[in-house]
Amino acid sequence: MVMDIPEFIIPLIPWIRGIVGLSLVGVIFLGAMGAVWLERKLSADIQCRMGPCRVGKYGLLQLVADAIKLFTKEDLKPRNADSLLFNSANIFMIGSVFLMLVAIPVGAVFINGVEYPLAVTQMDISVLYIEAVSALSIFGIFMIAYGSNNKYSLLGAFRNFARMVGYEVPLGLTVVSVAIMTGSLSIVEISSSQGMLWNIFLQPLGCFVFFVALMADMGRLPFDQNESEEELVAGWITEYGGMRFGLAFFAEYIHMILGSFLVALLFLGGWNVPGFVANNSVLGLIAPTVFLLIKVVFVLMVIIGLRWAVPRFRIDQVVDLSWKKLLPLALLNLVWAVGLGLYLGA
Amino acid sequence: MSGIIDSYIPVAIFLVMALVMPPMTMFIVKQLSPRSKAAGKYTTYESGSVPTGTARIQFNVEYYLYAIAFVIFDIEVLFLYPWATVYKGHGITSIAIVEMFVFVFILLFGYIYLWKKEALTWVK
Repeated sequence: MVMDIPEFIIPLIPWIRGIVGLSLVGVIFLGAMGAVWLERKLSADIQCRMGPCRVGKYGLLQLVADAIKLFTKEDLKPRNADSLLFNSANIFMIGSVFLMLVAIPVGAVFINGVEYPLAVTQMDISVLYIEAVSALSIFGIFMIAYGSNNKYSLLGAFRNFARMVGYEVPLGLTVVSVAIMTGSLSIVEISSSQGMLWNIFLQPLGCFVFFVALMADMGRLPFDQNESEEELVAGWITEYGGMRFGLAFFAEYIHMILGSFLVALLFLGGWNVPGFVANNSVLGLIAPTVFLLIKVVFVLMVIIGLRWAVPRFRIDQVVDLSWKKLLPLALLNLVWAVGLGLYLGA
Repeated sequence: MSGIIDSYIPVAIFLVMALVMPPMTMFIVKQLSPRSKAAGKYTTYESGSVPTGTARIQFNVEYYLYAIAFVIFDIEVLFLYPWATVYKGHGITSIAIVEMFVFVFILLFGYIYLWKKEALTWVK
């Protein structure tokens, strides 16, 4: 920044960034609580119900009550379960979202017209890194299912696995198509390069494929074959109760929030709004982050709304959709992006 | 900011946090929660009936075929990542595009082969 920094601090800066960044973990847990509340309220609205309304104003404290309940529930492990897998699976679930959180910018500030993204760390390859660590959660899901030694769990985990492998490919291809436009794999550069023209207008097909693949990746409702309640009780999470379930559940919701961040950053222009220039100092500090959060909440609401708009697919339909429809569409979008990149970049 | 390692130090800090947090939470739960012992409590849930056999049985080979196809195509995508960053503005644009289309075309051939062999069709 502009001010002088003492010489001895400079090697410590990454450590300071990391430790200060840990506060983001607390923020994202609050955000996940907000997302659960939003989902319950919005679902209730869609179905003409009240939703949570007793605990606190508009039921806002419902999640606090739920957390207290989860903390005081007995920790149960079935006799036939494999303790090592059963106990350590949550580390993968939580680890996956924490490692995603490190690289995703949650906003930006403009000081004297210079942009400083609010990310804990910035890498040259952050989109590749984010994709890699977001796939870690499948290990957690499989460890839970195999460790529980429950037939419902294992069936759910196998379905989850079949779905994940199908949708990772179109997801990766659309991310490459976006990276082509900027010529960079850094999510910060991709986001700040969309000042005037968002990627959703340049690659509408890519945005559609990315969004569908992301929904499948997160296991949101049209794609929740891993826990289809009607056939598999609760799928992979059947034997997980109390706080164990709570942690896995929170990891899933944080995954959903971070997925919405990815849509907003890669396709909806990140913290940019066409026509907005941060010339006022106070506005430059606050407005970009607010714009990004508005976009994230919008994407979240679309995801939640889709839950009640589209019924769950069968597993063979899901696999067909990814391999036979989304993969060719993603390749088509790649060709389109190469041409567009040359046309715009010339 | 200098050095690639520097940008991964926060990753290491978050990794330690991820390793510590779930066991710590479970420890707190252990202190707070009540305990009671009953024989039936620790059986595997199977819709109320007595569980028969283990869950770790052989599964459909279908999953394996998809996994193989996934490995092929995911590696294809992985090769595209470095290519995406250098193909324009480095004086190699035309050769880079031709090479990539040859590469994708070969994979497309394999994809059509898989489709025709019905490796991508779910066996009911």
